Amino acid sequence: MGFEYHQPSTTAEALELVARFPDAEIIAGGTDLMVRLNKTRRVPPALISLRRVQELTHIENGSGLRIGAAVPLRDVATHPAVAAGFPALVDAIRVFGSPQIRNMATLAGNLCNASPGADCAPPLLIYDALVELRSAAGVRELTIEDFILGPGATALEAGEIVTAIRVPPPPPAARSIYLRKGRVQMDLAITGVAARLEMDGATCGAVRIAAGAVAPVPRRLPRTESVVAGAAAGAETWARARAEAQHEISPISDVRASEQYRRHLTGVLVERSLARLASTNGGGT
Amino acid sequence: MKVEVGFRLNGYEVRAEVEPHLRLLDVLRDTLGETGTKEGCGEGECGACTVLVDGAAINSCLFPVCEAAGTSVMTVEGLAEANGALSPIQRAFLDHGGAQCGFCTPGIVMAGVALLAENPNPSDAEIRYSLTGNLCRCTGYVQIVAAIRAAAVATRGERGD
Repeated sequence: MGFEYHQPSTTAEALELVARFPDAEIIAGGTDLMVRLNKTRRVPPALISLRRVQELTHIENGSGLRIGAAVPLRDVATHPAVAAGFPALVDAIRVFGSPQIRNMATLAGNLCNASPGADCAPPLLIYDALVELRSAAGVRELTIEDFILGPGATALEAGEIVTAIRVPPPPPAARSIYLRKGRVQMDLAITGVAARLEMDGATCGAVRIAAGAVAPVPRRLPRTESVVAGAAAGAETWARARAEAQHEISPISDVRASEQYRRHLTGVLVERSLARLASTNGGGT
Repeated sequence: MKVEVGFRLNGYEVRAEVEPHLRLLDVLRDTLGETGTKEGCGEGECGACTVLVDGAAINSCLFPVCEAAGTSVMTVEGLAEANGALSPIQRAFLDHGGAQCGFCTPGIVMAGVALLAENPNPSDAEIRYSLTGNLCRCTGYVQIVAAIRAAAVATRGERGD
């Protein structure tokens, strides 16, 4: 029997197929998987497509958001509730690939590919997003930290698929932003920083900072966050956060940038993102 | 084992017996003989294979043909009138010299079609942003941006906006 392309229309059907074809690849947008298949000229025994699974193709807006695993990034960015409550995610999608890629690629796929530089991961980290995984045995939810285990490695188990990304409602006064630098728009990130800040008068309240492409996995920067939380808003605090972030990350040198430049640039983006969030007319919401 | 895939291509129903691992690009070019759509990089970087699926621009080199079943696909061959009269955007690319070797042109034209359908009056910055997924290695982008700007004006004029 040769290659089969399966297009289930329900989650139950998809899970049945995943159990029946353990060596199958799961495809949603295909913008990573198809590149891999094209490059290696490899044909897997089967592909199981999530594109026509009705339950996975929409965004539910109740208490927070539930973004189906097959929703293309373009539809995430243009959803009014995403624009209103999660501007850092909109920022990340704006710098993500090209219009063509955004019409296909998905949030779930971006996380499953588990690239250290996955642009959607830092925003999802600062928003406390959860990855919803389903198998015949039931459903479980993992934080981004528990889901992405290393470069290309996730906690996805055999027989399991990611069905949605859930994002809790943001605190009403929080503002957030994602800043990224790449060599050009279509290239992967050299570094990307997502930050969320609540102000308490002239003092910084709760803060979350996450970075991508500067460690084996996209990650929060808790030491940098603790420099900012409770400190007076202003250039001095932003500069201290910048210095802390430069030490806290563990970047490598590669074709896109040296380790030193990644440290420098990440610090700059941390400083810049905080300054923008604290200013009354800055970026973010 | 071959499967039958049917979709609308440039307004006509087509059906093809295809190997299910093929990409939409392969079937457009090799099975259906519509060779206007090009393969450049084969990894979604260059945009030479851009076509519209249900109105959305996608890289047909990353698009499994089975996903096209039941959709409406538009390629560069679908732009001109049946009598050969060029569409406003094709005319604009000719008038502004928006092509040199021409290999990237069908993909860029389709990216332009998608942009103008969504945003009939784009700024130059919006035009350039809409072309981030399309590489041209001959002309530079000045004439291409000018062509899309002119196509926007011509399209609005045609519709009487």
